[in-house]
This record gives sequence, C-alpha cells and structure tokens, in this order.
Amino acid sequence: MAQERTDEELLAAYQQGDPGAFEALLRRHRAPLFTFLLRMLGDREKAEDLAQETFLRIVKGAQAWERRARFQTWLYTIARNLCVDQSRRDRFRRAESLDAQGPEGDPPLSESVPGKEIDPGRGAESARLRPLLQKALLELPAEQREVFVLREQAGLPFREIAETTGVNENTVKSRMRYALLGLRKALLAAGVSEETAADEPEKDARLGRA
Amino acid sequence: MTHAESQELLLDLACGELDTGRAAEVEEHLAGCAECRAEKAALEEARRLSAPLREQEEPPAGFDDRILEAARAEARLQHDGNVGQVIEVSGNVRPLGLEAARIDAHAPVKARPSPRARPKWMIRAALGGSVAAAAALTLAVSTMLDARRTAEKVSQERNEDYRIRVHAAAPDAVDSAMHDAEARREGDRAGAKEQAPAPTAQQPPPPPPQVALKKKQQEPVVQYAPLGNVPAKGEVARSDKDEKLAAAEEAKPQGAAAPQAVAVGSASNDGLAAGGSGAVQRRQRAASAPVSGTAAAPQESQVARGAPAQTAKTLAAAPPGAADIEARAQQARHAGDYALAASLYQKAAGARQREGDGGSAAWNLAHAVECLAAVGSFDEARQVREELARLHPTETTAIAAAQRALREVDAPGATPSAKPK
Repeated sequence: MAQERTDEELLAAYQQGDPGAFEALLRRHRAPLFTFLLRMLGDREKAEDLAQETFLRIVKGAQAWERRARFQTWLYTIARNLCVDQSRRDRFRRAESLDAQGPEGDPPLSESVPGKEIDPGRGAESARLRPLLQKALLELPAEQREVFVLREQAGLPFREIAETTGVNENTVKSRMRYALLGLRKALLAAGVSEETAADEPEKDARLGRA
Repeated sequence: MTHAESQELLLDLACGELDTGRAAEVEEHLAGCAECRAEKAALEEARRLSAPLREQEEPPAGFDDRILEAARAEARLQHDGNVGQVIEVSGNVRPLGLEAARIDAHAPVKARPSPRARPKWMIRAALGGSVAAAAALTLAVSTMLDARRTAEKVSQERNEDYRIRVHAAAPDAVDSAMHDAEARREGDRAGAKEQAPAPTAQQPPPPPPQVALKKKQQEPVVQYAPLGNVPAKGEVARSDKDEKLAAAEEAKPQGAAAPQAVAVGSASNDGLAAGGSGAVQRRQRAASAPVSGTAAAPQESQVARGAPAQTAKTLAAAPPGAADIEARAQQARHAGDYALAASLYQKAAGARQREGDGGSAAWNLAHAVECLAAVGSFDEARQVREELARLHPTETTAIAAAQRALREVDAPGATPSAKPK
C-alpha cells in the first residue's frame, strides 16, 4: 500500500510523525536523485554528498513544506541549487590549482576511453559508452546540462524543470534543444554513432515517460 | 500547422511530450518539410545516443543511514507530544514556526523528554529569559494540543515528566499568573504537561529549600534542570527525579492542582511575570538544584547549552565569515537575545549572498523573521520576510518558514506578499 501513496501523501504522513513514510520517499528517490547529481557533477563522491545533503534538507524543511508544492520539484530544486553552489566552489578551486588538473579540471576521460576503441558490439555496450557520454555531457554548458538531465534522467516535464531552474518554459525547451544537438555533435565526433548505440532504442522506449 | 508552430513543437514531439492529436498535426507538417524532418531526426538521434545516461545508478551502501537517522530524530522532535521536544534536538534543527520561536524566545529552561521516548538525542526546550518560561510553555502546549486533543491521556501520563521548577519570581505576579493559568486550563483541560523536568544528575545536592529560595529571590528566572544534557543517562536522571518527585509530592499542598500551566498572554512579552503558585515554588524548593548549562555532557549537540562559556567554545571552531556570523546569531538566539540574533542573521544573510550561497542567505533571513516574531517586532519581521521573498523567490521552504513564523499575526485573509509558490 505504502508504495501506492504519492510523494505528497508520504511527505504529509511524515509531517504527521511517521518516519516510515519518509523512508518510503527516500527509497523511491534515492537512486534517481543520486544519478541526477552524478550526471551533473561527473563525480561519485560529490554526488553522494550532495544527494545526502539534499535529503537532509528535505528532512529539516519537511515541517514547513506545504502540500500544494510538488515534492519532486522541491527535491530537485534543492539538489540543483546545491549543484550550482558546488560548481562555483569547484571553479574557484580550479582557478587555484590550474597546474594540478587539466584546464577543465576534469579527469582526462578522453585518454582512458578513446572513442575509436569503443567496441561496436552489444552487451555491456551502454556501460562502456557511459563514460564517454558523461564526458560529452560535462562539456555542455551547465544550464543546458541540467535541463537535459532533469528531463532525460530525472524525468521531469518541461514545466517542472522551468520551476526548478527558475526560468520560463520556453527557455527550458530551447536549452534542451541545444543540449541534444550539442550532445549529438560531440558524440558523433567522438565516434559514437547509431551503430555503436544500436541496442539503445528499445531502452529509450522503455525509459520514456509514461 | 505552420512551419514556425512545427518548429516550436519538434522538441516536445521528440521527447514524447505531445498528446496524440497534436503529434499528428506536427507529423502532417513534417511530411512536407524537409527542414523540420531533419531536425526531428537529429533530436531523436541525440536521445537514442545518450540513452545510457538515463540508466539509474545506485548510491553506495550506507547512503541512507545518516538521512534516516535525521528523519527519525526530526519526526520524534515534532511529534512526540512532549513540548520539550518541539524545540531543539542536538544540532541544527530549524525551528519551524511561531510556536517554536516563541518557545525559544525565553531564556535557559530545559525540558526533558519522556523516558519512554527519549532517544539518544538530547532534547530540550530552550526557553529563555527572565520571564515566563512557563507561559511560553503553556502557549506552546496549547498550540500543540489543538492538534492533539485526542492524545490527552498520553500527555497526562507524561505530566509527571515535565515539571517546571520556578525560582520564585515576583510572588504576586506568580500568583496571578497561576490564577490565569488555572482558568485557562479549565477551559483547555489539555493536560498541559511539559513542566520542568526534575533535576538531573547535578552534582551539588540541593541546598536547603529556604536558602535556595532566598538566593534566587532577586532573579525571577525560570530554570530547568539541565536534563537535556545527559540524555543517555536516563537511569540516573530518572532515579534522581523520582527522589525529587517524592520530595515535591510532600511539599505539594493542594493535590495535583499544580504547576502545569502558568499561562500568560504572550510569550514574546518579556516583561510578563510568570512563575508558579505555592505548589510550584514548594516543589521547586524541594527540587532546586543550581542549574542550567553547567553539566553539559558532550553530546553530539552543538546547540548552545545556555551557558555562554560553552557556546563560546563551540564558536571558537567556527570558520570566519558568514559561518561565524551565523554561529553568533545562533548563540544569541539560544541565549534568548532575539533582537541581536535577528540582526546577526540578517548580516549573515548578506554575507552568504556575497558568497553566492543564496540558499543559506534565504534561510538566514527566515531565521531573522522568526527571531523578530519571537520578540514581537512584527512589522520588521514582515519587512524581512518581504525582502526574503523578493531576493530569493525560489527558496520556497525558507519563505514558508518565515510565513509560518508570522501566520498568527497576519490578519486573517490578508495576502502576504511573500507567498511561496
């Protein structure tokens, strides 16, 4: 039964003092939220930290939450803001230690996963492709990246993304468009093509929003 | 459908966000428009290529632990039905509205969680100030009780766990406050519990009652034994308590009439007297131990313990800058200096803003609103709330917190400009 309750019902139950309801919420959102942050930051440790921080903020803010607000929007708004803060800090640090890291401050993924060597076979295909995709994603401007991830991975509709990121829906869509076209270009340039990703379309359909 | 319209909708189509009717219209246009066809194909290809990014990954083991612990602590804090637990847990729980703000609007009073529910965390009411801690408590209790009328029985059971020890304030004021409280309680009959807990394992044995009373005569301070300080040592606290209870029982004149509710109009009204009736005083005499903030078992709490010295220690470790100001604000708040706390929170908000941390800035403003509300500076509180809403329109939870702090004074039906969306 608990599984069938909406996020909002669960949070309301938690407000009434039912910790189990919060647990259910956490179970439902932990992996998507973690993945969202992972895609945004490209760093597991940071993603874990920020995902925890996000949920802790939910805990602290739960009493003040008002039922008309959608839980998911709130969750991703917090996470997204933490991401913005994080990247500001990173930029600052990067400026301090330009020598220590590449100019982008990102690990030189391209060296470990050269596009040309990608096995065009099937199977563990997507696991192999993912680092390359992640790299391409990280190279997108942050505001395009967040829209892309919120839509494609977190599954938020454009309207909610607009709310989460504080811009209007048209801006969201245009960012999404640029993000998709930019990714495509980067991936094709890196040697990822329809063939190498051939087993993906079904998955696409499966993961698409209901 | 025109080409421009089609262009608008290509993305929605590629992302599967169009309903079938609309999708058909776009497709119809696509049939005759190579440009749109090519764009749609490119968008779809990008989505296929990037599909692996959509797969979910699991956070590492142990990810949930801290979160669940915090969630349970917070739930207990909010809903154990004990006033002492509405207020602060070890650490950083944000007070959530006027009740809480009022409560911690007064000086060092500590309540102790009921033995049954007391977890590891330390819980205490940071009531403060010279005055009517009892009044604040009553307020809080009655607020809570609205929601918990049905829990009457439970709270009555717990009455014994919360007993206020009042160091005789102005006796007249005390009596009249008691009187009011009685009257109020008749109506409310809520079983206001939360009286001050019995003293904890405080080393010095209670001084002879008379002496204690005399000594304290000048300071109309309501003090709780620092029970919260030794949460893990329930047994000790308890046996100690039982002893005191017995003593108090003896001293109690008119049965259970007692000190439950010492109500006074507004908790934010600092000048108000409160205190206890004879029963309270006697009980308190029987139980009076020197108090407050001394013992301090090193819990995981960084909450100010009421003893400035201790707070100072925790502060020493705080980093400079905004965090430092926040720490001072928190300290002032815990010490009951709400006006100072409010101005520090505002300052901290400015500092956070400059650091680019809008979220923290917003929360600092929300705290400022709470503090201002706690001392009754409602106009100023409203101004800060508006500032918060204006500067940080997306920080809806902070705005909501500020909203809550003022909801009881907002004219009914008034539309505050700071409505969270």
